[in-house]
Amino acid sequence: MQASSLNAAAPAAASKPRALLRWLLLPLVILAGMGLSVEAGLLGPLGVQVGHLWATLSIFGVGSAILFLLLLLSGPQQGPALNELPRWQLIGGFLGPIYVVVLTLATPHIGIAMTMVAILSGQVGKSVLIDHFGWFGATRKRVNGERWLALALIVVALVLIARG
Amino acid sequence: MNLFLLLLLVVVAGAVLSVQAAINGRLGQTVGVLRSSLLTFVVGTVVTGLLIVFFEPAHAVSLLDVPKWQLGGALFGVVYMMVMVGAVPRVGTAVATVAVILGQLAMGMLIDNFGWLGNPAMALSESRVLAMACLALALVFMYRSSARQA
Repeated sequence: MQASSLNAAAPAAASKPRALLRWLLLPLVILAGMGLSVEAGLLGPLGVQVGHLWATLSIFGVGSAILFLLLLLSGPQQGPALNELPRWQLIGGFLGPIYVVVLTLATPHIGIAMTMVAILSGQVGKSVLIDHFGWFGATRKRVNGERWLALALIVVALVLIARG
Repeated sequence: MNLFLLLLLVVVAGAVLSVQAAINGRLGQTVGVLRSSLLTFVVGTVVTGLLIVFFEPAHAVSLLDVPKWQLGGALFGVVYMMVMVGAVPRVGTAVATVAVILGQLAMGMLIDNFGWLGNPAMALSESRVLAMACLALALVFMYRSSARQA
C-alpha cells in the first residue's frame, strides 16, 4: 500500500525540478536572443565595410576557435563520434551561411522591415510545424487551442512590425 | 513577380533557421552541447570560406583594418548556439524560437533607439512596442501549451 503510493509520488516529485529548470531556461533563451541582436548590430556596419561574407566568416571563424578551445579544455566527451551519426544530423552548419546569403541578396530589394517579417514568419511557422509533426527527432507538441492563440498574436505582432 | 519570389526565399531562409535549431538540438542530445555547436561553426566557417573564394568581390577594407570591438559578435553567436542546443530538446522548437525572437526584438529596439554599435538611431515606435507585447503574450501561451504536453 505504502510502496504503491510512493511509486505514484515519485514521477510527480521528479518532474517538479524539471519543470522549474524549463522555466529557468526561458529567460536564458530570451537573453541569447538579445545577444543575437547585438551580433546583428555589429554585423550590419561591419558587413558594409568589409563585405557580408567576410563579416560572416569572422563570426563563424572566431566562434569555431573559441568552441574548439572550450572542447579541448572540457575533457573527454560522452556519446558517439560525429561520423557515426546519421548524415542529416550534421547539416546544421550548412544552413547558417544559406541564411546569411539570402539575407544579403534580399534586404536591398525588399527593405529591412519586410525582410524581418518574412524571416520571422518562416521561423515561427516552420518551428510550429516541426513540433507538431515531430520532425528531425523533435518531441511532438501538437497545435492546440493555446498554440492557435499564440500564432494569432504573432501574426498581429508581425503586422505591427511591418507597419513600422 | 520577382519581388514575390524574393519574399518567398526570405521566408524559406527563416524556416531554415528553425530547421537548424531542431537538428542541432537533436544532435546536441547525443553528442553534447559543445560538440554540436563546434560542428555547426566549423562547417559554417568552411562553407563561408568557399563562398568568399568564389563569389566575394575585393573590398578596400579588410577584417584586420576595422576596430577590434566590431569583431566581438562571435561571442554572442557562440552563447546563442550553445543555449539553443541545450534548450530546444527541453522546451521545444517553437517555444525556443519565439523566446529568441522576443529577446532579439527587445534588444533590436534598444539598439535602434539609442543608435548603439554604430547603427543609425531610429526612435521607438508605438507599433513596435505593441508588437513586443503581443509576442510576449504569445510566448506565454506557447509555453503553457508545451508544458501541458511535455
